Formats: sequence, C-alpha cells, structure tokens
Amino acid sequence: MYSLVQHKYLPSSFHHKVFASRPVFGRACIVYCSTTTKPRLNAKNLVIGPKAAVLQPVQPQPKVVITTDRPKDNDLSLQSTWSHRAWVIAGCTTLVISLGGSIKGAIDMHMWIEPIFAGWIGYILADLGSGVYHWGIDNYGDGSTPFFGSQIEAFQGHHKWPWTITRRQFSNNLHALARAVAFSVLPIDLLCHDPVVQSFVAMFAGCIMFSQQFHAWAHGTKSRLPPAVVVLQEAGVLVSRSQHSAHHRPPYNNNYCIVSGVWNEFLDKNKVFEAMEMMLYFKLGVRPRSWSEPESEWMEEIDMASQMEAQ
Amino acid sequence: MASFTVTAPKHYSLHSFLRSQSPNYTCHYPLLPTSSTSQFYGRPLSFSLPSSTNAASPLPSIFAKVSKGSKPPPFTLKDQDGKTVTLSKFKGKPVVVYFYPADETPGCTKQACAFRDSYEKFKKAGAEVVGISGDDPSSHKAFAKKYRLPFTLLSDEGNRVRKEWGVPGDFFGALPGRETYVLDKNGVVQLVYNNQFQPEKHIDETLKLLQG
Repeated sequence: MYSLVQHKYLPSSFHHKVFASRPVFGRACIVYCSTTTKPRLNAKNLVIGPKAAVLQPVQPQPKVVITTDRPKDNDLSLQSTWSHRAWVIAGCTTLVISLGGSIKGAIDMHMWIEPIFAGWIGYILADLGSGVYHWGIDNYGDGSTPFFGSQIEAFQGHHKWPWTITRRQFSNNLHALARAVAFSVLPIDLLCHDPVVQSFVAMFAGCIMFSQQFHAWAHGTKSRLPPAVVVLQEAGVLVSRSQHSAHHRPPYNNNYCIVSGVWNEFLDKNKVFEAMEMMLYFKLGVRPRSWSEPESEWMEEIDMASQMEAQ
Repeated sequence: MASFTVTAPKHYSLHSFLRSQSPNYTCHYPLLPTSSTSQFYGRPLSFSLPSSTNAASPLPSIFAKVSKGSKPPPFTLKDQDGKTVTLSKFKGKPVVVYFYPADETPGCTKQACAFRDSYEKFKKAGAEVVGISGDDPSSHKAFAKKYRLPFTLLSDEGNRVRKEWGVPGDFFGALPGRETYVLDKNGVVQLVYNNQFQPEKHIDETLKLLQG
C-alpha cells in the first residue's frame, strides 16, 4: 500500500522548506527556495514523474527527487580551472590599472571629490546595469541564441538549482564576467587617463565583475557567511538574501539587480521592466518568459539528500 | 545605515511623464483651420469636413479626442464570437468602454479579471462593460474563455477606433494606451481615465462614478 506524498515540512532544524510543485511530465520536481522565505502550499501542483517518484509507505516522508542532470556538490563543472583563474586575474589586473591610474591622476591633479563621486556613481549604475542584463537574459532567447546562448542556459540552470552557485569555486563563478571586464576595460585603460573616468570605470566594472560573488552570497545562509558580508547585506551595500530570494519566487519578474539591490524597489514599483517588456512585445512581437507559466527547465528542483548533507 | 534608495517623488510617476498625452480639449492638428460649429462632436476645437461621415472623402477624417461631455464617434466591431456589435446597442444604459493594449499581457489580464470580479457591481449599477483592443476575435475568445470573462471584448483591428477616439499612446506611441471611458445612458462621456500600469484602478474609478 503506497501513498504518494503531497507535500511535507521538514523538521524545524532544517531551515529549507518544501513546497508543492507544478505538474511536469517526465520529471518530478518540487518547487524549493534555497533562502529563508515563507512556505507556500499548493497541493494540486504536486508533480509525479515516472523517473523520480519514490513511493512511500503511508507515513508521510519527504519526497526525494533524483535527476540525472542535476550538478553534484563535487561536480567538476563547479570547480575552478587554470583558465578560469587566468581570466579572473586578467579582469582584476585591468581594474587595478584603472583604479591605480585614477588615484595617480587624482594626486597629480589635486582632486578627490570628483573621482570619489564618479566611483560612487559607478557603483550605483552597476546595480542598474546588472538588473537590466539579468532581466534580458532571464526573459529572452534560449540556448541557441548567438553569443548569449550559454549565459541564458546558465541562468536557467541557476533558477533550477539556485543553491549550486554557493558550491561554485570563486574563479569558476566569476570567470565569464572577468573575461568581459578584461576585454572592455583594457582599451579604456590604454586610451583614457582621466582620473574621474577611470574611477567610474573601475567601480562600475569591478562591481559588475564581482556581482556574481555578491549574488552567491545572497544565496548563502546567514550562519555560513562571513560576518562582514552579513553586515554589508543588512546595510544595503550588497544585495540582501531576502531581496534576492524574492526574485526566485514566481512569477520571477522582480528584484533583478544583484550588486547592491538599491534600484530594485524603484524599478519594481514603477514597473520599469514591465514597461520594457510591453514595448518589446508590441515592437518585436516577443513575449518575455515571465509572462508565461514557468516551464520545467525554469522551475527549481530539490534534492533532499544533498541538502540535508549540506547541513 | 549606509543604504541609498532611489525613489520617485509621489506626485510624479515615470510612466505619466513619458506618456504622450495631449490636453483634453486640444485638436490633434492645431494648425489646420477649425470649425466652430461642429455639431457632431460639440467641441469648439474639433475639425470636421461637411461630409465627415462620407467614407469616400479624399482627406483623412480628423476627430477631436473624445473627452468628458462629448459624444464619441460610433463604432461597429466584431466581438469574441464574431458577432457585430455597435456602440448604439448600449444606448439607454451606462456603458464602460475600456481600451487596453493586448490580450494575454500581464496588465490587461489583471484589468480584465478585475472587471470580471466586480462585474456584479457594474450590473447592479445598470452598466455594461466592453473591452476593446487590436486583437482579433479568436484571440478575444481564447482570452475570455481562459479567464472566464463575462463581458464583451471587441476587435479593433488596425486600431481604427482607438485612433478615432484619440486614445493616447504611452512612451511616445510605443505602447497602446490603457484608457477607460464611462458613457451615460445618453451616450455622453462622463469619465475618461488613463493609467497604463495600475490597471485595477480603472475599476475603482469607474465604479466610484457609477455608484456615486
């Protein structure tokens, strides 16, 4: 005699909660949030799939989902390679050159306020830039899109397994952005020697490059993060865990910014992304993903065994 | 706290700033000679040819924007079942005519569902509700079925009626506007409400008038 479990709260010592999921054919999955959020129950959305369903005796048991393509904790794809490290070093080098040039120029020209202000503007605009880029990648295109295809797939994978980012090694996580920064900032370093511009570029590009680390921290748990990071998150200097977890809940159409999150409230309150989505729809006929019910590739999966192990 | 927040002042909204709205009583073509005796629209600034209802007129018909106190131009459009519906059908009772950008978009869905959820209140006030967008009847049919909409949706293909009524676009015309008109039982406009990004407010404002 079997009963297929509808949904289950885990013991309170385990701070991740289980939610019911939407029906998906061919795979069982449970909507799961990897950061602290309020639980939501929707029993009719239970998914039962042939591969992954585990039939349990009548006592309620956690539903285990096993999928073959889910990254394992020690997956090689999460580890840094020398190529990754090289790109991170290259990106950091261009930033250091830009920052150093700015400081030297500021000393030579006896100016402080302007470069510091420009740097602050760079930090603020990097948050906006991260949001716009994130919105574009989350909503448009797919794996076959030229140039952006692999990024789009990576973002989809992140929505499916959000906790994976906390398992990635540093250079593995940052190398793609570091490569973009190295290519963008190097010509500016060579051509521009204005301390104000260099300060802006260093801060803007630096925040963009490290946004993946801020993002990873936003998926972390308070007890496991460095105290300084928690302080910065709670001060609003870095994007907070609660703000970013809102992005990982349906309809996945808000809180796109991942540097400091300072733009999120303004952008969401003023429906800026919704306006852009509507304009693109009427001009180009493309619908963003957030307008439709999430597809299976988008929905979060949970592997109970590995999550319990992670604790 | 070292946080920095960017918030818009309460009296200003991004979308209203970018809306291409002309004042209520201004003709769209102010440089053309105006007639002071347009009886069709009753507005001194409207410009109309003597045979403005003649479809064979070589010049484009120019209509003043429909505004409070005016009678809007009649229309004949197809509903979600392919049946022809005219504006005159609703004469004798108040009617809420709401123009929306498109079926199956988030704001329009919210708005339609809000009208649906308050439909009884509209019926109680003796009013009809009619939605108009540029989608074809089959799109309206699917939209109405999916969200169980009890009211009429009309297909303004080519957005002809939208232009005739002077519904302003948003973002310099990049987006069809979301505007609602409440006509009294004589067919005279008593309320014009425009709000692209707060669709549920259209229901609140129209009910306020109908129940007031």
